[in-house]
Formats: sequence, structure tokens, C-alpha cells
Amino acid sequence: MISDITIGQYYKENSVVHRLDPRNKIILTAVLMAMIFCCKNFLSLAVVSAVILVSIIFSKVPLKMFLKSLKSIIPIILFTALLNLFYIKGGREWSLWFLTVTEKGIYTAVFMAFRIILLIVSSSLLTYTTVPTMLTDAIERLLSPLKVFHISVHSLAMMMTLALRFIPTLIEEIERITNAQKARGADFENGSLIDRIKSLIPVLVPLFVSSFKRAYDLAFAMSCRCYTGGEGRTRMKQTSFGIKDFAADLFFAAGFAGIILLNKYFGALI
Amino acid sequence: MSITVLETDKLTHIYSKGTTSQVDAVRDVSLKIEQGELVGIIGHTGSGKSTLIQHFNGLLKGTSGSVYLEGKDIWKDKRNIRDVRFKVGICFQYPEYQLFEETVYKDIAYGPKNMKLPEEEIDRRVRKVISYVGLDESYLEKSPFDLSGGEKRRVAIAGVMAMEPTVLILDEPCAGLDPRGRETVLSLISSYREATGSTVLVVSHSMEDISKIATKVLVMNNSRLAYYDTVDAVFTHADELYEMGLNVPELTRLFIKLREKGYDVPADVYTVEKARQELLKLLSGRCGK
Repeated sequence: MISDITIGQYYKENSVVHRLDPRNKIILTAVLMAMIFCCKNFLSLAVVSAVILVSIIFSKVPLKMFLKSLKSIIPIILFTALLNLFYIKGGREWSLWFLTVTEKGIYTAVFMAFRIILLIVSSSLLTYTTVPTMLTDAIERLLSPLKVFHISVHSLAMMMTLALRFIPTLIEEIERITNAQKARGADFENGSLIDRIKSLIPVLVPLFVSSFKRAYDLAFAMSCRCYTGGEGRTRMKQTSFGIKDFAADLFFAAGFAGIILLNKYFGALI
Repeated sequence: MSITVLETDKLTHIYSKGTTSQVDAVRDVSLKIEQGELVGIIGHTGSGKSTLIQHFNGLLKGTSGSVYLEGKDIWKDKRNIRDVRFKVGICFQYPEYQLFEETVYKDIAYGPKNMKLPEEEIDRRVRKVISYVGLDESYLEKSPFDLSGGEKRRVAIAGVMAMEPTVLILDEPCAGLDPRGRETVLSLISSYREATGSTVLVVSHSMEDISKIATKVLVMNNSRLAYYDTVDAVFTHADELYEMGLNVPELTRLFIKLREKGYDVPADVYTVEKARQELLKLLSGRCGK
């Protein structure tokens, strides 16, 4: 259950998409999200889907991986779709008992569900093809103009890297403590809501204690290796903006242009 | 004296079955553990020891095969699995990381409280087990986070003992302790067994530790049960154990070397007392000639 979390998961492969400059990938993902939100009809949505599909094919990440990342948000998709289905009015109507479904409602529901799926898939594409450290490194460099406002961008990026690094460790720790408390008769499945929240205390307290201890140890280990912050730090892996990045940008720009044109000529479907 | 408390029948556990990362953690293990034994479970890292013990209290369910506690299949009725956990108490590796209450008293009482025992009974048990682990009652009001590493370990062990399990399982109870701490923990385990007469299973990869306290030894090798026999009998397989990445105690190695050199000594010596007797016998025999 807890090990199904796919956030920050990396799929090892050596594809063009994996080798793109991570800064470029972050910007392109943002552009992709903008595209998804700009879509006004099914035709433009089809264009975004095509752009995403082509990117996936180039990334060599199997489609199965994307289905896996969608699995956990099925309830959210269903919830949004159902709300839209019953609340949007317009067009032909069908009634069954007290439920009324309209033509426009059906279109909107499908449209919204599709949109969420595309959003999740495009953000998974970024994490599947980029190592977390590269990602935070890129964020650090993209945010570096903020230094003007005396914001320590490097510390923020370092914290993100560490947080991502410790997700699997914490999951393992939670499983260990849970087992130990279960062996002492802890019951996480039964009882009222309050009982269940209370039953988490024996897991959370040791988890906090060991996390603090780990944080101290880590800070100590880092200062032992002369870590003093971002000042004058260089990178082991230099990334560069190359011809493939330029090609990817052009491809996305073409996609975006297509969407704007389709929106204009075919109008809003909803 | 030979009542079987814990029994497994062709127990197999496979992690991530059907995928490329499939791992056979436990394979075809059938064994019977008798009432009152102190069993040492040994095996190299990744031999399946820890996975095996988690089947004994139903934290894991075997892919196939069954586990019987006092003759009853523990998975016969899923709702009773909590009762199984009270009867088979497991204290995991580094148990000090499971302490969470404000006082030692409350932490030890956590298990018995989950058993829904009356207040007086809980009080009796807490006071009893704190003495089992060699700490006095002044510790009960302290915060577990103020104790030293070794004391925390003992409090955590007491927390499992307080459930008065029929079978007590300790996973690497001596890991990370200094020689004196190891000595203390080992002796409190054997005195606990003497005082309560319950069955105790101790996982370790130190043959030396096991040989000091165990009545029987269970050896796991590559997810399979290699040996389950008395300490003497298992130590006669020194060569095989060595190949499994395990080591017999230094004394036993010495006696095996002596045998190889042609001296007439037994191969299953692992206590200093026995070694003294055997050496004296050998020496006096030679002087006699």
C-alpha cells in the first residue's frame, strides 16, 4: 500500500528524453501543463495527447508505468467526472429517477477526466526520466535569479534533494516500527476513527525521534565533509543545452500553436 | 516434556512472486519446536531467519504451507491473529526504536493494555518483567528517552515479556551492544526462561552467543532449513557450517584442529568447562604412557 507511491520514482533508461537538459525538461513540463489548460475542445486535447504520446515513445518508458502512476488517483478522477456529470446543465437531457444527465454534462465529465489523466502523465514523464538530484539541481539553477531577494536558493534545493532521498528510508522505517507495534498487539484496522488516529501515536513518536536523530547525524556527516552551503560550489555533472533540447522546444512550440489555432477555428466545445 | 508448541509444515515464502525481482525468502521449512526449549536460530545475512520468525506470529503469511501454534493453524480464523501475536511475542532488531511512551512503566504496559487486561494485572506484570531484565523499580517513572542504549534495549525486551507469551522470539537481541551488554542480555534471556518455563527463540549470527545459552540450534541456509538439532550435534558439522558462511566457536575450532592432527578428542566441545576436562583427559593419558 505505502510502497505503491510513485512520486519521485525514476525509470532507468538511456533515451533522448532522459538526456535532455533537466532545466529544459522542467520548463517543457510547465508548458505542457499550460497547453492542457488552454485546450477548449476535443481536437486540441487530441493534439496535446499526441505531443505527450510522442514524448513517451521517445522516452522509452513503458506505458504500463504510467498506468501505475494513474492507479492511485482513480478516485479523484471519478469524483471530478461525477460532479461535472450531474452539475453541468445544457443540451439534451436524460432522466432516471432523481438523477438528470445532460449532453453538456457528459462532454464536460469526459473532458475533465481526460485532462487530469494528461496532467498526471506529463508530470510522471518528468520524474520517470529525470534523476531526483538532477531535478533539484535544475530547480536551483532556474530559481537562481531569486538570489537578488536574498533567498537561499541553494539551501532550498538541498532540502528538496534530502527530502526526496529520505522518502524510501522513511517508508522502510514506518514498516519496521509498525511491525514492532503490531507484535505488541497494536490494532490499526479496527475501531472508531478516534481509536485509529490514536493507534498511530506508537508509530509516529518513534518515527519522529529517529528522524531527528538521523537529521543530526546527517548534518554532522555533511559538516565533516566540509559542507558549508552553496557558496562557490561546482557541479560534478555539467548539463548543457544542446541541439536535442532545441528540437524538443520546437516540437512543443508547434504543438502549442496547433492548439491555439484549433481553439480559434473550432470554438469551445464546452 | 515434549509437547510441541510451534510447528511449521512445508512453509514457503516468496517475495514479489511472478516478477523479475522474485526472491525465495523461505523454502519448504518443516519443523517442530518443543515446549521449554531455548532455540538459537542462526544463518548468514539474508538466509531467511527474519522472514521465518515473522511467520510465527502471523505478521507474514506464507505463500504456501502452514504454521501451527499449540496444534492449531494460526490462519484458520483471521480474526484471532491478534491473540496469536500475544502468545508469540516477537522483539525485533534494535527494539529501542519502538519506545514511544512518556514513562518506562507506560511503555511496558502497552502490550498488556492491548490485551485488555485489568489494571492490577498490568501493574503486577510490569513490576515483574522490570526485574526480569535486571532493572529496579525506580526506572519505571523515568522517560525511556533518557536511558542509555543498553537500558533502552532491556526496557523494550521487557515490553514484549510483559505479554507473557508462550513463545518469546528475540531477533538479534545483542546487536550493537558492547561485550558486557551482550553478556547481560544473554544471561537475562536464560534466567527469564528458567523463571517462566516458556519457550524462547533467539536469532543471532554469533555461534558463540548461541552456544552459551541455547538447548537447540536451528540453522538456516539459502532460505532452507539446514539443521535443527541439539547444540552438540550441530557443531559436529563444523565444515558445512563454515561453508555456509558461519563460524563455530573458537574452542570448537581448536578441538577440530586437534582431531585433524590425530588427537583423540571429541568434535563437539564448546564450553570452557568441557574443554578443560577433555584436555586434562588427553594430557593425563599421554603422561600415563
